[in-house]
Amino acid sequence: MNGEPGACYEDLRVGDEYRSPGRTVTEADIVLFAGLSGDYNALHTDAEHMKASQFGERIAHGLLVLSIQQGLLERGRPVGPPEVLVGIKWRFKGPVKIGDTIHVRGRITAKRDSDKPEWGVVTIERQVVNQLGEVVQEGESEQLVERRAGSRA
Amino acid sequence: MSEIRQFYFEDVEVGRVLETPAMTLTETHVRLFAGLTEQRGDDPRAVPDFLPLCVSSGLGWRVSQPPLVVLAFMSFEWQFLRPTRVGDTIRSVSRTVTKRPVKEVGVVVEARHILNQRDEIVQSGKLTLLVARRPAASAPAARS
Repeated sequence: MNGEPGACYEDLRVGDEYRSPGRTVTEADIVLFAGLSGDYNALHTDAEHMKASQFGERIAHGLLVLSIQQGLLERGRPVGPPEVLVGIKWRFKGPVKIGDTIHVRGRITAKRDSDKPEWGVVTIERQVVNQLGEVVQEGESEQLVERRAGSRA
Repeated sequence: MSEIRQFYFEDVEVGRVLETPAMTLTETHVRLFAGLTEQRGDDPRAVPDFLPLCVSSGLGWRVSQPPLVVLAFMSFEWQFLRPTRVGDTIRSVSRTVTKRPVKEVGVVVEARHILNQRDEIVQSGKLTLLVARRPAASAPAARS
């Protein structure tokens, strides 16, 4: 644990909403992600090929945007680590191009007990929105959030 | 020069299983990924939840089958079953669950497990991909 106080399970309420800071997705992000993941699909790496595509240019990997989204959402809400993802359902609705600026909207839609007494399960609905207000990715995640010591079930 | 072989919707067989080579996840992966995605973590040996999935997408290119012509990643459902630590060696095993033509393209659903060096499933789910049909003039892709 670091010294930063994060919200515990008890502090989170159904209906709570968060908006993350924005982030501009750059060519460097895409090149770095291609190298890190090993996904060199032409969609992300071949500018000439993509000129003729429906997108007209390279687009960010869907999983890159998903991963950036995770970091942005963590910055935009008070849940401190540790926090553990249980599952996610996700839809990729539109492309993110080089220079697009995205932010994340999150809303807590459910809370329930976990089978581990020191954790609770929180459901968060998430939308990744670009600078035009278009939802480019969206989905719902379940994650374990630590309960406050002393109030554990 | 021979033409680069590609795998199209027509070449996809339901039920076919593909196992990728393995990759050891290092502190370098974790640091790069954390820097790229701004993910905080207190434990430098803990692998961020989405990193194994991202690495599995690249491992999928390193199988004997020619690369599938994926036009778009449409959706996925994913479960995080066990934590992954620096030093773990992961690989993925995937199986085509369904394929269906939609207009001039195709939709393929793949079930994927990510396993560690102890053969434990660490993450698992289903991915839905939009795949190109083979252009009329193109020769069939070779099958292994």
